Amino acid sequence: MNRVTRILSLSAAKITPQHIQLFLLILALSLFVLGAGAPGDTIIGGR
Amino acid sequence: MILLLAIAAGLIAGLARAWINKRPYQASELKWVWVVVLAVIPQLLAFHFSGAAKRIPDDLASFILVGSQILLLFFVWANCKLPGFYVMGLGLGLNLLVIALNRGWMPISLETVQSLTPDAPPDTWHIGERFGISKDLILPVVETRLWYLSDRFLLPHWFPWRAAYSLGDIFIAIGVFWLLWASGAAHHQE
Repeated sequence: MNRVTRILSLSAAKITPQHIQLFLLILALSLFVLGAGAPGDTIIGGR
Repeated sequence: MILLLAIAAGLIAGLARAWINKRPYQASELKWVWVVVLAVIPQLLAFHFSGAAKRIPDDLASFILVGSQILLLFFVWANCKLPGFYVMGLGLGLNLLVIALNRGWMPISLETVQSLTPDAPPDTWHIGERFGISKDLILPVVETRLWYLSDRFLLPHWFPWRAAYSLGDIFIAIGVFWLLWASGAAHHQE
């Protein structure tokens, strides 16, 4: 992840590696909860 | 979907904590993120994108669900030194256990489904069928193994949308919140 954050931060002047790392953390956690959780809701369950 | 609220709440709480402590927010560096991507892409197709989900046979969808959750256990194991990951692992393990014991699906009772869809005609949902394109299978409580781990909790009525969730989902939400909250601590240990 470090390599990715450094490369991305070079191309965006005001975005620091910490911002990229936070973005990647939130993205990874979002994917994780989508996969690990199993809530039944009307958005995906409704007819 | 509702679990994304735990991420939002944890992030807001962690940022507020860092601001109060006058410290930078230290986002944790996760290991093996590629495992999450590998595990979740098939799930997105099988359970979240309706066009693809309707074309995937139920047997394959349940196989995808169990297989991807096993992969996610490796991700939890790789990051278990980070705050909250043991709790996330417990939640994932409970969900995986009840899913594995109930034909590869998260069980949900017909009564809970009817509470979620009060406007649907009474004969819309039937025992033994999948709840839309979700991970849930409608089963009678008496035929559900480890019923208390199934999707049996409902969001309060004042919530803007309806959802049923399991004990495992609660632990996952707590773990995610904990991780993001801990990132705002004065002395965050990784």
